[in-house]
Amino acid sequence: MDLLLSPQLLAAALIAGALYALVALGLNLIYGTMRLLNVAHGELVMLGGYVAYWSFSLLGAGPWPALILSPLATGLLGYALYRGLFRRLLANSALAQRIEANSLLLFFGVSIILQNLVSLAFTATPRGYQPFDAMVDLGVATLTGGRLLVLIVAGIVTITAVLLLHFNTVGLAIKALIQNREAASLAGIDTEKLERWSFIAGFAVAGLAGALVSMVEQLSPFMGFPYMIAAFVIIILGGLGNLTGSLIGGLILGLLETYGVALTSPNYRSVLVYGVFIAVLLIRPQGLLGRAQIVR
Amino acid sequence: MKPVSRLLPVFFFAAMASLPLFAGDYYQGVGFQLLMWIALSQSWVLLSGLTGYISLGHAVFYGLGGYLTVLTWHIVPLPLAIPLSGLTAALFAAMIGYPVMRVRGPYFVILTFGLAELVKYIVINVEAALGKFGRLMMGAPGLSTLYWAMLVLAVAATLLVVLIGRSRFGAGLRAIREDEPAAETAGVPAARYKLAAFALSALIPGMVGGLVALRTSYFEPQQIFSPTISFTVVTMAMIGGSDRARGPIMGALFLVLLSELLWANLAELYMIILGLLLIGFVLFAPTGLDGLLRRRIGR
Amino acid sequence: MFKKWMGAALAVAGLALAGTATAQAADSVRIGFSIAQTGLFAAAAPSQLNAYELWKEQVNAAGGLDVGGTKRPIEFVMYDDQSNPEQTVKIYEKLITEDKVDLLLAPWGTPMHFAIAGVLEKHQFPMVGNSAASVQLRDLKPGNIWFPTSAIPDRMAEELAKMLTANGAKTAAVLTNQLPFSLEIKQFLIPALDKAGIKVAVNDEYPPDVKDMTALLGKVKAANPDAVLALSYPNDSILYMNQMKEAGIKAPFQFVLVGPTIDFFGKMFGKDLDGIVTIGHWTPAKADWPKAKPFFDAYVAKFNANPDYLDSALAYMSCEILEQAVAKAGFDKAKIREAISTMTFDTINGPVKFEGVQNVTTPTSFLQFQDGKAQLVWPPEAATAPYKPRT
Repeated sequence: MDLLLSPQLLAAALIAGALYALVALGLNLIYGTMRLLNVAHGELVMLGGYVAYWSFSLLGAGPWPALILSPLATGLLGYALYRGLFRRLLANSALAQRIEANSLLLFFGVSIILQNLVSLAFTATPRGYQPFDAMVDLGVATLTGGRLLVLIVAGIVTITAVLLLHFNTVGLAIKALIQNREAASLAGIDTEKLERWSFIAGFAVAGLAGALVSMVEQLSPFMGFPYMIAAFVIIILGGLGNLTGSLIGGLILGLLETYGVALTSPNYRSVLVYGVFIAVLLIRPQGLLGRAQIVR
Repeated sequence: MKPVSRLLPVFFFAAMASLPLFAGDYYQGVGFQLLMWIALSQSWVLLSGLTGYISLGHAVFYGLGGYLTVLTWHIVPLPLAIPLSGLTAALFAAMIGYPVMRVRGPYFVILTFGLAELVKYIVINVEAALGKFGRLMMGAPGLSTLYWAMLVLAVAATLLVVLIGRSRFGAGLRAIREDEPAAETAGVPAARYKLAAFALSALIPGMVGGLVALRTSYFEPQQIFSPTISFTVVTMAMIGGSDRARGPIMGALFLVLLSELLWANLAELYMIILGLLLIGFVLFAPTGLDGLLRRRIGR
Repeated sequence: MFKKWMGAALAVAGLALAGTATAQAADSVRIGFSIAQTGLFAAAAPSQLNAYELWKEQVNAAGGLDVGGTKRPIEFVMYDDQSNPEQTVKIYEKLITEDKVDLLLAPWGTPMHFAIAGVLEKHQFPMVGNSAASVQLRDLKPGNIWFPTSAIPDRMAEELAKMLTANGAKTAAVLTNQLPFSLEIKQFLIPALDKAGIKVAVNDEYPPDVKDMTALLGKVKAANPDAVLALSYPNDSILYMNQMKEAGIKAPFQFVLVGPTIDFFGKMFGKDLDGIVTIGHWTPAKADWPKAKPFFDAYVAKFNANPDYLDSALAYMSCEILEQAVAKAGFDKAKIREAISTMTFDTINGPVKFEGVQNVTTPTSFLQFQDGKAQLVWPPEAATAPYKPRT
């Protein structure tokens, strides 16, 4: 009982939830606005991680530049891919009809290419660094510096994103875009520009998550997959296109990871996570906060 | 031209049947793999190609069937165990099919993926509880026997797609793919048809899983429930064409040949080329090789 | 447009193919193997591949591999098995029947070794394994495959229990990743601990994709055991190392299964790694093994990173064994088989001799990190430094 009520566990739940929410945010920005299934999302996290690692090792300016450089790098990649590939997909009406399936495959191709390019460039040898290994005593809980940073940065970014969505004009425009592209366009919103920026933002956020992850986990070219899975599970759980939903979904996953395990047993961690996910979907096929469709 | 192209699958399987006569161990192994991918992709097409419900968790049936074969190893004779594995997978699909097929679009895609992972972790827990850490199956049948078994499965899977594709059931499935509410209005029993497709699509993979477990004579949940299998199946079907029986054959053949060509010391390069091809296919040949062929020769 | 893409792809393919049809010296020795360059095991395999490459470079620099008297340069025929045992089976069949290589080296990983045992048996082609450890290895028929590792789960469990007893541990927590190797060790460890009178206060498993261990470690902290045995893999080993500090676990004996021996781990944890015990039977600090330190130094010089104290050492050992067997027996498979089964080999890990498929000379040992260096701390007779409880 002690354990369940401990602030340490709560902190762990928040850290896990915040990181999950951050990773999911990036994915939702791309799916929600353009219905593109980015299965290369994990690779973006991986790339962000590598940029962070190299900036730390080569620049000698500590780990902080990574928090800017990683999102910048992946954001640029996003811009390039958008111009080069996805604009074409979105513009072609025949392809756009089965946009989920086609984007799935496009991104799958991109993910394979990214993984293997990185493997060729840096070999598959795992790397790791811990710029913040000092323990931070918060009085109620003790955290490794790196994990505290994850909580702070991920927490700030995700909450800001959700607030922006509700209160800022651009955020509201995105929300409108997610709800109904045509109507948003009629309302005078420059949908193409917005989509482009959402795409880039989604990539950038993934890169940022990668930078954070690199400070607490090992890096290798094929590490992205679990992040992609987790991101998809969360955005589906929360309801596609619903950014608040993915925040909640991320928190739920974080809670399952910590409290769920504490209540049952560590054995069942993954069974719980996927079990809850499937149970939610079977009961509510549109996710927790997604828009309902009549299904039989 | 027309009759020839229709008979392509027949020629193909005839060639595969005669392969053991003149090919050594290695090429038989390649043939075995090719047939395996065809069997898996065809059964995927049966579900996802026809109904449009893209499944990213096809490995779950494959894994379940493999697990059953492993569990009944030395307890049930193989000629019985393999079909049993298929039936178990199909039964599993039938049990969960109704609620699962209520989920649509990308929700369905990730649901199937989550399902495969869930089953994987359940099996991991079961194996751990049983005190098993990877199972060695000594004395499994050799490649020659397994090859014939796989050939039978590949032919069966292709036949299923051909027959169903031409049936009313198949037409109903395609109608569901085009526009589900409209199909229902037109009288297609969508829920029942989807369930049937789901269950049927599990039958062959279940048996394939058993055969592959025997081939490597080693079973471990992480290997057999691998998402790579699901993804490769989708890739082959999309490259080959996911509407008709010819598609997966061409898709699998193309990818297997490509990998044979590019293998030597070029692991990462092969994968990169594959990625590029995938992108190329989506942007420039969305109906797959089958679609290209049709455009060229009209059938 | 599509045609252009196809054309480009095929052109690249053609070039690639042409590029690999390198002029093969007629007298070079072709050694084939597969390695996981992509997929699940890709992060773990480089430590083995690097050792292979280092060995090849060193042997070629010295004039080539001694084949029953004549020296010939080594050439590798390597394929990517994509971390898939089925692929590995295919590759080894290809290496033997199509590529007709002269010798074979091992793939990475226990499942792969098991998968190809049948192929080796069928073609009667002997191969020295390395990165495989399981009691099931003993079920394999000897004659075509051998395992130099001494880190076999049942032996490890016994020795670990002995080591705990020797250091006065009365209680232990066992945390197990649900992967085959760790599960197998646990299978033997719990009874061994019970037999030694050590109370197992916490005994939990967790799946390989775990992302947080706070709940689990909270339990461990509450139980306050003398020893924490984390049967973990690199990802969760990292989690353990970080979250164990957060939870304030101060057990004097801490064991982490897979991770500490890898180069990046030391870089990541620095001083925190000191005191951690892990599996391994090789260290460059052992003066009795004159080849040990030179290997370490050569590896560092070539790859700018430390070798993996377990995997790299084993991989290199398997090469040394092959080298010495071939020097005596040439390529004759029967003679090689005879040689490997009977000779005592001089490796970077000291002498190695096989009985059946197993190495019976190297004792099951444990390493401990002290001042950033891996020391052999168990068994005491073979130790390079005494075990020091973690402070």
